[in-house]
Amino acid sequence: MAKILIVDDEESIRLLYSEELASDGYDIALAEDGHRLVERIEEEKPDVIVLDIKMAGYNGLDLLQSIRERFYNMPVILCSAYSMFKGDLKSMAADYYVVKSSDLSELKKKIGQALEGRTGPDA
Amino acid sequence: MSGWHEENPNKVTRAEIVVTIPTGGQARAIAFPVEKANEGLAQFFPDRKSAIIGCGYHSDNGTREAFMRVNTAVPKIYLSPPAGIKGKGPHLKNLLQKAVELDARAVIVVDVDASSITPWWIKNLCNPLFRDFGFVAPLYLQHRLQGAITNTIVYPLARSLYGRRVRQPIGGNFGISGELARLYLEDSFWDNRSSEYGIDIWLTTFAIVQGVPICQSFMGSPKAQNPPDPSDEAARLFNHVVGTLLAMLGHYEKKWQGIKWSKPTAIFGFGSGETETAPDFAVNKEKLHDRFTEGVRTMMDRWKAVLVPEVFSKLTEVADIPSDRFDFPTQLWAKVLFDYAVAFRRQADQGDDLLESLQPLYWGKVLSYVNKVDTMSTQQAEEYIEEVCLTFEETKPYLLERWTKE
Repeated sequence: MAKILIVDDEESIRLLYSEELASDGYDIALAEDGHRLVERIEEEKPDVIVLDIKMAGYNGLDLLQSIRERFYNMPVILCSAYSMFKGDLKSMAADYYVVKSSDLSELKKKIGQALEGRTGPDA
Repeated sequence: MSGWHEENPNKVTRAEIVVTIPTGGQARAIAFPVEKANEGLAQFFPDRKSAIIGCGYHSDNGTREAFMRVNTAVPKIYLSPPAGIKGKGPHLKNLLQKAVELDARAVIVVDVDASSITPWWIKNLCNPLFRDFGFVAPLYLQHRLQGAITNTIVYPLARSLYGRRVRQPIGGNFGISGELARLYLEDSFWDNRSSEYGIDIWLTTFAIVQGVPICQSFMGSPKAQNPPDPSDEAARLFNHVVGTLLAMLGHYEKKWQGIKWSKPTAIFGFGSGETETAPDFAVNKEKLHDRFTEGVRTMMDRWKAVLVPEVFSKLTEVADIPSDRFDFPTQLWAKVLFDYAVAFRRQADQGDDLLESLQPLYWGKVLSYVNKVDTMSTQQAEEYIEEVCLTFEETKPYLLERWTKE
């Protein structure tokens, strides 16, 4: 089953997402911030990354840059409580942008699309 | 390069970075991009061997002299074609050949018309090529009403077909790896339409279908161009760009048919000093509506011959909407373009006629787009364009079904 790496500094979010997505059959890995994120990705080998933007000490958009440089086709879904970061050009490097909600249907839909897209163009 | 004349006063035989400028007979415009290319190379790549290569007419219009006269620390080479060779395509092909001869690792293509080019553009188009990217597309600041052909056709269509999100695929200025330059030269698609305005979309599409790592680089300023030629250039630009796009579907059909959803690219170039804002931009909505209604008056039979009955029927409903409320739904627009793609393949020898009949529909779509985004912020307009693109991707199965049935 596909593996999702959830990167979020809020424990309640990590818990909610991991329970809901695990119940859909996904394997889950968790990271509470961007510390050694590239190395974590190399260790965990996720199929999709769900990445928060505003984290204490870390900017998800800058982390996204690092991920994109190292893992060209890695699906990354930005997940933020704020829609304002959609206006930041750096967010274009993400596959999708989902505004946080207790209803995870949009996030799950985008995860599904991101996983389908992995059969697409490769580099 | 048989018949071509080369001026290489510094006897350059190798260069790690090459900035190429198809000069297009633009004697008055050429000095500025050459100066900025020189500044960019000297400031950001002082330890790398570089060259600036121009390619244009050897005749008496003064372009060659203007190019060679620019005082540069970086050596210059000028290539002139035999008489009768015209168009950005052939010039670019020979520029790429020369770059490959020089064993360049990074090839920057600069539009001679780029009157807002800065040395940062050279840096931002070139740097990713030394980080193993093969193709660098520009990302300019742009007013939401600019770039109509990109926002309504080129970006959503190319993205849904080839699966890579290059926001401004006909940006005119690119970074190309030496390896990719060699691949370009081997491809057979140097078609008539792609030889002029169509060349940019072919360069971008070819890079995507080759699977080279692609990125976009923020230019930090709008792309200003020298004043365009008279208004019939808009029709030529449309024919060349859209004609190339539609012709490529047949050439690369094995590549696009297996792609379902698009993927993003890395984006570089932030922190490049001050960022400008896009200047104001005005659109004449009545003119757009007039062009569309002229098509309704004269092209109905031709539209009926191209479009499937359901799409044609929906189009007739749209035709009655008044200008101030005019709305051309995105899914309908996607199906119109997909029907034209199928017709283009079926009637390749009538491509010009097909493009002529598509144009009024395009003007109608532009009016619809302007009505939608006119009062939006830039962010809101980009979110709307993202929805347009997702609709194209979701509608792609329609194209696949029609294409495989033909």
